[in-house]
Amino acid sequence: MNTSESTARPADIDEVVDWLIERVAEYREIPAADVDPEVPLAELGLDSVYVLSLCGDVEDHYGLVVEPTVAWDHPTIDALAKHLHAELTGGAS
Amino acid sequence: MNPAATDHATNAAADNVTDTAADAATDTVSTPADAAEDLERRLGPVDPADAHVRDLADEREEFPQADVDALDGIGLARHYVPVEHGGLLRDYPSTAAMIRAVAGRDLTMAIAHGKTFLGAVSVWVAGSGEQAARVAGLVSAGVPVSWGLTERGHGSDLVAGEVTAYPDGDRVRLDGEKWLINNATRGGLVTVLARSDPAGGPRGFDLYLVDRRTAGDSYRPLPKVRTLGIRGADISGFTLDGVLLDPDADRVGAPGSGLETVMRSLQLTRTLCATLSLGAADHGLAEAAHFAADRRLYGRPLLDLPAAGRTLAECYADHLLHEAFATLATRAIHTLPGELGILAPAVKYLVPVGTEQLLARLRRLLGARAWLRDVRGTEVSPGVGVFQKIERDHRIVSLFDGNTVVNLNSLVSQFPLLGRAHRRPRPAEAGLYRAADLGAPLPPADPSRLRLMPTRGAGLLHDLPAAAAQLAELAAENGRLTPIAESARSLAERTGELLEDVAEQPIVPPDVPAHAFDLARRLTWALAGAAAVRLWLDSHSHVSRTALGPESLWTDGRWLHAALDRVHTRLVAGHRPTADEERALEETYAALTGELLRQTAGHRFPSLLHTRRAEAL
Repeated sequence: MNTSESTARPADIDEVVDWLIERVAEYREIPAADVDPEVPLAELGLDSVYVLSLCGDVEDHYGLVVEPTVAWDHPTIDALAKHLHAELTGGAS
Repeated sequence: MNPAATDHATNAAADNVTDTAADAATDTVSTPADAAEDLERRLGPVDPADAHVRDLADEREEFPQADVDALDGIGLARHYVPVEHGGLLRDYPSTAAMIRAVAGRDLTMAIAHGKTFLGAVSVWVAGSGEQAARVAGLVSAGVPVSWGLTERGHGSDLVAGEVTAYPDGDRVRLDGEKWLINNATRGGLVTVLARSDPAGGPRGFDLYLVDRRTAGDSYRPLPKVRTLGIRGADISGFTLDGVLLDPDADRVGAPGSGLETVMRSLQLTRTLCATLSLGAADHGLAEAAHFAADRRLYGRPLLDLPAAGRTLAECYADHLLHEAFATLATRAIHTLPGELGILAPAVKYLVPVGTEQLLARLRRLLGARAWLRDVRGTEVSPGVGVFQKIERDHRIVSLFDGNTVVNLNSLVSQFPLLGRAHRRPRPAEAGLYRAADLGAPLPPADPSRLRLMPTRGAGLLHDLPAAAAQLAELAAENGRLTPIAESARSLAERTGELLEDVAEQPIVPPDVPAHAFDLARRLTWALAGAAAVRLWLDSHSHVSRTALGPESLWTDGRWLHAALDRVHTRLVAGHRPTADEERALEETYAALTGELLRQTAGHRFPSLLHTRRAEAL
């Protein structure tokens, strides 16, 4: 696990989901209420290249170094949150 | 899977390898210049009649078979195959230097032959050991390999590709058309990007190896396309009509990894494309220097007219800046692979476009001679068409392997990361300084360490204020460095403002605004300037001590002085040096002109480093 100081520790998956919803809302400049966590990120307007930069947010916020393609392998907010939560808690989701 | 742990393990492994490589490298010190000279020696001096023959072949749109045979004869293709797969590609800068030497003779020849590297590279990046061995055997045997990415209706938009690879019993069946593919007709092996998931998406594509010998008639080449430049090259396309392949043995990488593999591979090929531009400029500058020194107007050489002399010197300075940027980026393949995601598109944008501008200025300097198809103005039959052919042939370089807009767009898509990294800068990685130190041995290249996005931004940009401060310290001891330190400080300031602007861009605009493209364009010049500063700082002692490059360029930071001046003209519209700056620049540019003439007359490449052509060997 590659975590550094001053990074967040999520209590549960929902917290990661909420954080990702905020990121996407910010990227798309739309209200968080309009971001459906079950819809593919591509359909939320994050094209395949832009979505790669989510890894930078993850690294900054959670101190977790992930391959940029993590958002390709887990293409919805729900799926991505589940994966990140498992990574952050050492595999137990 | 724990990506963090994997990352650490990889780094640790790479560090171990590095130490071993450093030991090995001290035994057999071989520089890129040695590699280029070795190739020059084996190809022999340029016969002036060759240019004539090439010009006629170009007119007839004939494939340069004799040239390609000559390159096969000296085994150049083995330098496209990494050592771990039995080839001679140990370090990318050496292979790049060899391709540059070929491009300096004739660009059509370099592209027709070098294309095989592009066709094979995905296998080095993501293929199995068995696939690598198979492709290495074919490449080493001189079989042309082609890369089938683009399609007629979609161009560079690879996720829109319509060629399909769907299961057919226990096989996979490929159908569709690829178009504007280099070596599509001559290629014996073709790596094809195909849609494996009807829904597409970034995980909806696979890369397949199509062997022409087994594909038979289900692979049909399309007619040759007529082009403005590199007229003899095999630019065509192909139709796949039920090509049946083994879904495992013929697929490169894991299912769904096709697009990712292509993106990683492009980081290597886009970086290496710069060497084609460097070769074209080597050729063009030598022709222009000969002309400007020999051509007499009003009783003196053309070169003595201030405007003509300055134009030539500025073109040379552009070239040295391109060389510095490309050199650092090519070394970064080994030392800083995580940042190639930003360096590769920046180099691929800047060096070809900068070279187009440089060639256009040389064309105006040559005046009617560039139009008459005989640059030296002596005879109009042998050696005809040299300059116009260089310029025409070179036009392809800014188009293929990701065109200008694609590369700038790739940088725009990294704005969120760059903005974030600018606000939370981290110390640059040691790999940056090793890339900039020409005396530092290179660790083996590990394509698995290429990352699609540079999460930490570009170390070069964040390091710039520190680099400028380092120059200021040196200037306190050597007053001749003062204007350069001042120029670097101003570059650091402008880069800081640029990054502020980048950070304030709306993150995902539905359509990329024109302003974002301009920011991306200026970002590439800032990167090139930063690369030049770093390269001079970390290499000047080594270069002087070992006499790797001309003293007249490296002493007192002369080439850097001119290179930074060229950067400022691109960063600031209507940039004009102050009277004091201009006095210092005048002296610097005069020194550069002198060195260009010496290099040309002595049959050396116009370069930061001593590299002799066959004529001088």
